Amino acid sequence: MTDATNSGAQAPKTSLIAHDARTKKRNSAEKRFRAYGVTAIGIGLFFLTVLFYSILKSGLPAFTTTVLSVEFTMTQEQYDEAEGTMLKTAKYQGFFNDGLAAQLAETGVEVEYDAKTIERIAGKTGNLIRAHYQENPNTIGSPVTFDLPTSSRVNRYINGEFTKDEVEDSRFLEAADLDLVDVMLASGTIRTVFDWNFITGKDSGVDNPGGAGIGASVIGSFFMMLVVLVLSLPIGVAASIYLEEFAPKNRWTDLIEVNISNLAAVPSIVFGILGLAVFIQFMHLPQSAPLVGGLVLTLMTLPTIIISTRASLKAVPPSIRDAALGIGASKMQAVFHHVLPLAMPGILTGTIIGLAQALGETAPLLLIGMVGFVAREYPEGFIQGFVEPNSAMPAQIYTWASRADAGFYEKAWGGIIVLLAFLLTMNIIAIILRRRFERRW
Amino acid sequence: MNDMRLIDRAVDMKDIKIAARDVQVYYGDNHAIKDVNVDIADKTVTAFIGPSGCGKSTFLRSLNRMNDTIDICRVEGNILLDGEDIYDKQVDPVQLRAKVGMVFQKPNPFPKSIYDNVAYGPRIHGLAKNKADLDEIVEKALRRGAIWDEVKDRLDKPGTGLSGGQQQRLCIARAVATEPEVLLMDEPCSALDPIATAQVEELIDELRENYSVVIVTHSMQQAARVSQKTAFFHLGNLVEYGETGQIFTNPVDPRTESYITGRIG
Repeated sequence: MTDATNSGAQAPKTSLIAHDARTKKRNSAEKRFRAYGVTAIGIGLFFLTVLFYSILKSGLPAFTTTVLSVEFTMTQEQYDEAEGTMLKTAKYQGFFNDGLAAQLAETGVEVEYDAKTIERIAGKTGNLIRAHYQENPNTIGSPVTFDLPTSSRVNRYINGEFTKDEVEDSRFLEAADLDLVDVMLASGTIRTVFDWNFITGKDSGVDNPGGAGIGASVIGSFFMMLVVLVLSLPIGVAASIYLEEFAPKNRWTDLIEVNISNLAAVPSIVFGILGLAVFIQFMHLPQSAPLVGGLVLTLMTLPTIIISTRASLKAVPPSIRDAALGIGASKMQAVFHHVLPLAMPGILTGTIIGLAQALGETAPLLLIGMVGFVAREYPEGFIQGFVEPNSAMPAQIYTWASRADAGFYEKAWGGIIVLLAFLLTMNIIAIILRRRFERRW
Repeated sequence: MNDMRLIDRAVDMKDIKIAARDVQVYYGDNHAIKDVNVDIADKTVTAFIGPSGCGKSTFLRSLNRMNDTIDICRVEGNILLDGEDIYDKQVDPVQLRAKVGMVFQKPNPFPKSIYDNVAYGPRIHGLAKNKADLDEIVEKALRRGAIWDEVKDRLDKPGTGLSGGQQQRLCIARAVATEPEVLLMDEPCSALDPIATAQVEELIDELRENYSVVIVTHSMQQAARVSQKTAFFHLGNLVEYGETGQIFTNPVDPRTESYITGRIG
């Protein structure tokens, strides 16, 4: 039936094949809406791609370092001679330069250079050489390969951040030095290696980006997260169970509920200044300590955990509570034996999300002195880990980003990659936990 | 269990298990139950019938103080279980609910194994001294729930994996496992198909030997099939209460007659 000629009916019959104006309008509205949706998702994905690309591009060089690799043998006589002089390290540096010259001669290099050039490329090498032989006297007389880190400028040149033409000669680097670098790169004397020190190492001084590592602040973040987890999980879960299952519904509990929701929206720097006033100025807890950072972040994480825990408790069907109460379980037994296990995946997910949020939080750490603190040392033990001054990952990134030496710029990006890797891991754990513990009822 | 000869059904006078006197239930300002007086006999199935919202479920839930979990709900009057007022200040509702078990409208097994579902009550009430005791209690309860043969080989499988009718019988088994004296059933068959309903009804008839059973139902046929006594509720009032045969064949109140003949409700 495609025509509308049946005159018997009161309303004119319409065809199903030919759409009327209303249907057309409705369909095109739907099409437009879908197009908006796809566009929105597309824009989101585009920005995400750009973000990841730029992070990886700027950050990945932080994970590698260039080393000047020289193999030479120090004889016992040379060692004794060096130890016998006043300027011991200069002597060692001389031996190193001789070894390097011999190595370069083997490969047939024809570039003019002097000891100063080597110093500009690899820094004062004598210290490191001497330290090696002091620690390993048994290697005297046998060939040893030294992998000495090159200066941050050479490193950046090799990473392609500037070209030879852009170099202005200074006491740090001259354009002519880079000819030698090119040659050494070609012959394999300068190599690019994975920089374990960046992951496990401590922060360095402001003039040595090459030696800076994020390890110490990872430890700081770890202790902070430990404080947050130990405090906010039990407090948050207990508060939500009480509010959701036991508390009478009256004006006071309504007020508390509204305030918890508001707390979740309070800017984190407010918690920071609260922490400064209460924990440091009033309670005299140590500055820059992960303990204080953890306490401040606990305050910040609690509302998140309470809200997600209450939501997952609400999601447990009331029939389960009725069932337990109906066979004579007490309220507490009903909650702990039946409701809580069912709400567990939601609670765990909420907690991990809260922790991940706290892990990346910088603003409150500004005010309690964790930003700007140079984490030069690992904590000595477990207890010290909480109370000794330390930095944290986001604080370390912030510190690096504000340092003058351009070498720290890529360290900051690299730090962001490490931080994102941690966040991603935590989110994946949250997803796995949710999948594993999810039960149907 | 024969609908056609309701009149012939023997009703012996049994001891009174629950006596309700002038019971009023309020939900906030809403007066949900008005002046209800009823005597529920022991070892008898008592059916509460009436249109939706007439308060029969509310009254049922006040018999084991399940209404306590609703903040705005208030109960006045006396409900005596074996002569003791269950709303006395000294009564622990938890202890009361162990004596007065409840089966709900929707089957609600715990998301645990069949065994743990039934064993939960005895465990929290300390009814079993050891594992063998508990096994015995679970088997007995499942047999009383008329589901033992169907589940004996898969006691460790989740209770939620059973069919609707099996789940409801599991819930009944779970309720009887704590050795209650009264069993309250809130529309236990409304979520079940006719076959499962028939099984549960048969089970209710068997349970009468040991318990006082109170059942709320929307189905008048079901009330007629399973109960010895019937109470008709309308708009929060107990309109008529008597032997099932009399209620269905010769009601005194015109409202009862209108309801069972389908003119109201």
